Amino acid sequence: MRHRSTIGVFTLIAALCMTVAGARAFDESKYPNWKGQWLRVGGGQGAPWDPTKPWGPGQQPPLTPQYQAIFEANLRDQAAGGQGTDPSYRCIPVAMPRVMIAVQPMEIVVSADTTYVMLELFSMLRRIFTDGREWPKELEPSYAGYSIGKWEDSDGDGRYDTLAVETRAIKVPHSYDSSGIPFHEDGEAIIKERLYSDKANPNILHNEITSIDNALTRPWTVTRSYRRDASPRPLWSEYVCTEDNRHVRIGNENYVIAGDGLLMPVRKGQQPPDLKYFQQTQR
Amino acid sequence: MGRLLTAILVSAALFVCGKAVMAHHSFAMFDTENPIELEGTVQEFKFTSPHTFILLVVKKDGAEPVTWNLEGASPSALVRDGWSSKTLKPGDELQMKIDPLRSGAPGGAWGVQKTKFKDGRPIVVSH
Repeated sequence: MRHRSTIGVFTLIAALCMTVAGARAFDESKYPNWKGQWLRVGGGQGAPWDPTKPWGPGQQPPLTPQYQAIFEANLRDQAAGGQGTDPSYRCIPVAMPRVMIAVQPMEIVVSADTTYVMLELFSMLRRIFTDGREWPKELEPSYAGYSIGKWEDSDGDGRYDTLAVETRAIKVPHSYDSSGIPFHEDGEAIIKERLYSDKANPNILHNEITSIDNALTRPWTVTRSYRRDASPRPLWSEYVCTEDNRHVRIGNENYVIAGDGLLMPVRKGQQPPDLKYFQQTQR
Repeated sequence: MGRLLTAILVSAALFVCGKAVMAHHSFAMFDTENPIELEGTVQEFKFTSPHTFILLVVKKDGAEPVTWNLEGASPSALVRDGWSSKTLKPGDELQMKIDPLRSGAPGGAWGVQKTKFKDGRPIVVSH
C-alpha cells in the first residue's frame, strides 16, 4: 500500500515537472502577438513584387543581362496574351518568396520550436523551424522551401520582436510576381526575411525580404507589409486551385477553356493545338 | 513619422481591397486599355477557385446570342466585397464594363466596381 502511494507521488511530481517544462518551453509573453488574420498592404492591380513600384518593367529588378532578356521576352509574350514565364496559371503554386505577397490572407502561429505561416493562396503551409537546428545536408526542393528562423530581441526589453528567417531549397521554376520576373533555373536562391511589428501600430507587420539569386547582379531587398483584420472572427476561405482552373497549356501554347468546355484562343490568330494523334486514330 | 507611415499603409490597404485581384496569373491577357460594355443575362455564376466566372449571354441586333466567359477575382476576394455564391443567379440581367481577351474571343475580366444590374442597381448594397 505504501509502495503504491510512493509511485503515485512520483507520478504526480513527474507530471508537474512536465507541465513546468512545457510552460518554460513556450512562454507566450516572450513572443510578439501576431495572432489573427493578416492582409497585404500596398501594391495594386497585378500584385507587383515591390509594392512601391509599378507591375512589370517598372519593378526594375537587378537581373543579369541573360535573365533580363528572359524577362523581356516574357513581357512580350504576356503583352500578346500569353502567360510568359510565370507557371502559376497552371495551378503550380506560387513559391517562396512570392507567396509572401499574401494576395490572400495569412495566419501566423508561433510556438517555441516552429512558427507556422498558413497562407490561404494555394493553401500553402510554411514551417519556420526555430529549434536551433542546423541545415540538413540534403534538401529536397519544395515550393515553400526549407526555412530556419531565429528570434531576436532587438530593443533588449526581454521580449522577442523580430523573426529572422532564411529559406533554401525552393523548387524551380518560379517568379517574383505575375509579371514573370524570373529566378535562376539552378534553384540555388536563398531568401532572407526579417519579420517585425510596426513600432507605432502593432496591427501592422513588416517583412524585409532579401532575395539572393544567381539571376541577380546583387541581393534584392523589398519590404512588404500586412495589416491585421480588425474582426475578432475574420472570414477565411478555401482555395483549391484545381477546382475550376480554365487555363491550360498544350504543347507550347496556353489556351482558356470556355464555359461550353471548348478551347478559346488567348492570342490573336492563335492556331488550335496539334491533333495529329486523333487523326492517326481516325485512319 | 511612424504614425504617418501607418496611415499611408492602411490607406493603401483600403485602396487595394476595393480592386479586383488576379491571384494566380497575370492579367496581361486582358486588354485593360480598351474595355467594352456588355449587357446580357447570367447563364451561370461559378463561385470557384482559382477564379470566379460569369457566363453572360449577350444578344445583339439580329445576331445569334453569344456566351461571354468572364473571369473575376477569387471567391476569397469577392467575399470581402460582400459577395457569395448566391449573389447572382441564372436569369439575372447585368450591365458590365469588362476588359476583353486580346485574342478577340468572347471572354474577358470583370470586376465588382464595374458590374451592375441592367436597371442600374448595384449588385451588393453594403460592404
